Amino acid sequence: MPVSLNYIVKRLFWSILVLVGVIIFSYLVIILSPGDPAVKWAGNPRGVNATFAIEAARRELGLDKPLYMQVFDFVAKVLTGDLGISIAYKQPVFTILYSNLAATLELLLCSYIIVLPIGIVLGVYSALHRDELIDDVLQSFGTIMANTPAFWLAAIVFLLLVSAGSPVYGRIDTRLALETGFQSITGFYLLDSILQGNIVIFIDVLVKLIPPALIIGVYPLGLSIRLSRTLMAESLTEDFVRAAVAWGVKRGRIIWKYAFRASIPPLVQVFGLAFAYSLIDAMVVEYAVFGREGLGRLLVDALNYSDFKLAIGLLIVVTAFYLVINTVADVIQALIDPRVRL
Amino acid sequence: MVLAVEAENLKIGYEDEEVVWAVKGVSFKVMVGEIFCLVGESGCGKSTTGNAIVGILPPYSVTDGVLRILGKTVIEGNKRDYTGVRGRIVSYVPQNPGSSLNPYLTVEEQFHYVMNSVYEWGRKKVVEEATRYLRMVELDPDKVMDYYPHELSGGMQQRTAIALALSTGAKIIVADEPTSALDAHLRLGLIRLLTRLRDTVNLTLIFITHDLLSAGKICDKIAIMYSGRILELGPSGKILTEPLHPYTEMLVDSVPILGIMKPLKTYGGEPLTPGVEVKGCLFLDRCPKKFDKCAENHPAPKEVHERIVECWRYV
Amino acid sequence: MANIRNNKPSISGAVKNVQKAFQTKTGFVAITVRAWKRSSRFKIGFVISSLIIMVGVLAPLLAPYPRDGLGYVPEDALQKIRLSPSRDHIFGTDTRGRDIFSRVVFGVRSALIQIFLVVSSSLLIGLFMGVIAAYYKGFIETLINYLIELFMSIPAIVIALALRLILGSGLLTVVLALIITWWSWYGRVTYIYSRSIVEMDYVLLAKLSGVSGLKIIYRHVIRNASPPVLVQAVTDLGSVLLEASAINFLGLGLPPDSPEWGVIMQEGIQYLSISPWISVFPGIFILVTALGFSLIGDSLREEVDPKLRRRWRLWF
Repeated sequence: MPVSLNYIVKRLFWSILVLVGVIIFSYLVIILSPGDPAVKWAGNPRGVNATFAIEAARRELGLDKPLYMQVFDFVAKVLTGDLGISIAYKQPVFTILYSNLAATLELLLCSYIIVLPIGIVLGVYSALHRDELIDDVLQSFGTIMANTPAFWLAAIVFLLLVSAGSPVYGRIDTRLALETGFQSITGFYLLDSILQGNIVIFIDVLVKLIPPALIIGVYPLGLSIRLSRTLMAESLTEDFVRAAVAWGVKRGRIIWKYAFRASIPPLVQVFGLAFAYSLIDAMVVEYAVFGREGLGRLLVDALNYSDFKLAIGLLIVVTAFYLVINTVADVIQALIDPRVRL
Repeated sequence: MVLAVEAENLKIGYEDEEVVWAVKGVSFKVMVGEIFCLVGESGCGKSTTGNAIVGILPPYSVTDGVLRILGKTVIEGNKRDYTGVRGRIVSYVPQNPGSSLNPYLTVEEQFHYVMNSVYEWGRKKVVEEATRYLRMVELDPDKVMDYYPHELSGGMQQRTAIALALSTGAKIIVADEPTSALDAHLRLGLIRLLTRLRDTVNLTLIFITHDLLSAGKICDKIAIMYSGRILELGPSGKILTEPLHPYTEMLVDSVPILGIMKPLKTYGGEPLTPGVEVKGCLFLDRCPKKFDKCAENHPAPKEVHERIVECWRYV
Repeated sequence: MANIRNNKPSISGAVKNVQKAFQTKTGFVAITVRAWKRSSRFKIGFVISSLIIMVGVLAPLLAPYPRDGLGYVPEDALQKIRLSPSRDHIFGTDTRGRDIFSRVVFGVRSALIQIFLVVSSSLLIGLFMGVIAAYYKGFIETLINYLIELFMSIPAIVIALALRLILGSGLLTVVLALIITWWSWYGRVTYIYSRSIVEMDYVLLAKLSGVSGLKIIYRHVIRNASPPVLVQAVTDLGSVLLEASAINFLGLGLPPDSPEWGVIMQEGIQYLSISPWISVFPGIFILVTALGFSLIGDSLREEVDPKLRRRWRLWF
């Protein structure tokens, strides 16, 4: 194995260190920004119970202790999963984040699984026909797709679907779920419905999932069409491709085992970044336009209820997700590129 | 005798904004079983000619004239057709072995893709044959087969590339500076191997180098190239001992030849930049023996003493 | 030891620098000129971006209802709520009776201000941090690299949420959230580039002879690394616009009634099936503007990296 365990451990350790840094940063944001931190933490309460809530927040934050202790306590609490009780939901922040993360993740994964292979194949095709009309057309589409605001496209698609009469609001038909006795086990409804043999729910979830998944997929589709074309076109000019041609290697092999193979490491890295970026797109689109639950909904609710705990929890979780994805992408990249020996 | 390679006024250029001609019209014949050398300074077009024979001219190249390999016309005018030629008939030892091996595949996998493409052999047969070829170039298969190219030393990479080139079973090999990455004893080993192959399986070798000395040792015929044309072409012994063209003289004078006492002379000047239009003989500004006729046109090839020279002194 | 520090800026020096930028093959201006001549994508992108900028500059003149454009509600508002597009109101009216075309036109200013503020600030901060990290090495280097990695990992939108809860809505929130994220990209690129320069001997010699090594690095980095970084910055103008609009769309940035495309779209999302024009038209402008800058950036990048310039076809 070209990649040593040492590398993976080092990378992991570094990412954890960054995560801790993010947690500390969040804490400093609470403490050092204008306004009384306790008030913010309590969610700007008004009314009769305000002082009580603020005092409770003050205790929670441990504002009477020295700064380094505060930070340490906070980091320890977060790492053990205690992010406080959400003001909006009156439940532990961590629980809410977890279930909603699954919803958003399901959307993202479906989106990428459909879109990436198509985009890559189109990009390779584009590169093989470089400078021809089809190449220009595909690349133009790719550029437009990569610059389309997801929430605008979502609005248009949603509008069209509603005018055509299809029910794509929400993530699942709760009444139908109750009637058919659907239970959420993993948090991934598609998986759960298969596990329970509940075809009705499966179809319902799938139908509601496809439109937002495709919309979120527009950006990665455009990106993959352009990126794989560029990388492929470059690999095709490499020396080892010419040498292989000279030695009589068949065309199909040259395209996939030589040229495309060289494009894979940078593709993995960029898609890692794109996946994390698409999480944001998903968050923007899923609730505001499609009314699905997910991290996007938490974002809006945190705003509306001044739920600072939820906001900080969201920041940490989304960043953690980002770090995990990038670390995984880096490790995969190191695994598949034999020249990277660490 | 069958002609392995035949070129008739072959021209090769590259298209950027306009066409720049790297090879301005060369003609030569290579017999089967012959070792033919293309010698010249960097930029003279020898590698380009080699690429044309191998079939890896870039898509933005422009050609003219005729090139035939074993009777099959691969280049005619601006049309190029190498079907059935690459790998099977002509193989290639690249100039830069490090970048010519696929960095993402082990050596064994690379042998597999080459041999399977040419012969459709299965894994076992490929490993057998690959081992044989690796041993031929003095490599220990156990130290090479399961490794990735970057894990091998420069010399090992070069020899692996040579083994890969030979493994296609092609009877015509174009070797572009094959000895540059090798130590002296390996260089000798390679030359011995190639001559042995020529003697046993009638291999035709087209040897591209800037080193006149190595060329003299191994080649039957030498073609001296300069700025896209062959200035002198003939048997290697004669060219080294009795050079006709002033450029050949310069090259020979700057190289020590064992057994002959002679002073070494250097020569100044730079080869012409491709794309620059020149009136008169291409060698004009560096020629110590020029006269008024030389400034008018580049001389046409003339047969002199079983050699072909392009110089006004022999017309 | 002779003090060769020359602090006085001179006009002739500046002129010479500009001349040089035109003459050198790699100067940013030269690249731009070449791209204009060679690439149709550049031309399209340039035309789009110039038109947009002109619209922004001439907004008060172009908007038929400039006060609507700025966000004020007109007197006869109640009769004009959510009118569909007509001759009087090309893009229709919004939920409070304002002319959408005027709001969108003024939205150009908002968009341009946001993206130029974010990109230029991030560029400066990133440049500064990158050079400092490479020059001083040691602890500072590690610290800055750590910060770069940290801030590169946090998506702007969640920072915007936190800032929104602290600072309230406004331009500062969205711009600050984006700067906090984007500077790290420029910081990383500058750091990597400066690292190689710092190793060079002439920096050491310069330090010995009294000229600030830091100044040398700045000058060298700016002169040599700036073309590719500036090209990236142009493309980033488009990307930042998309992110900023998303942040405003969720209400995490500029307040409602602002002349900002994302904000207008948010106001219209509830009435999407009834009055789609409120949300649809601003989005088109986001797309077109981002596309314009993106096209320019792409064609510039092609100029800087000439590997794929030559004609190609599948030749084997």
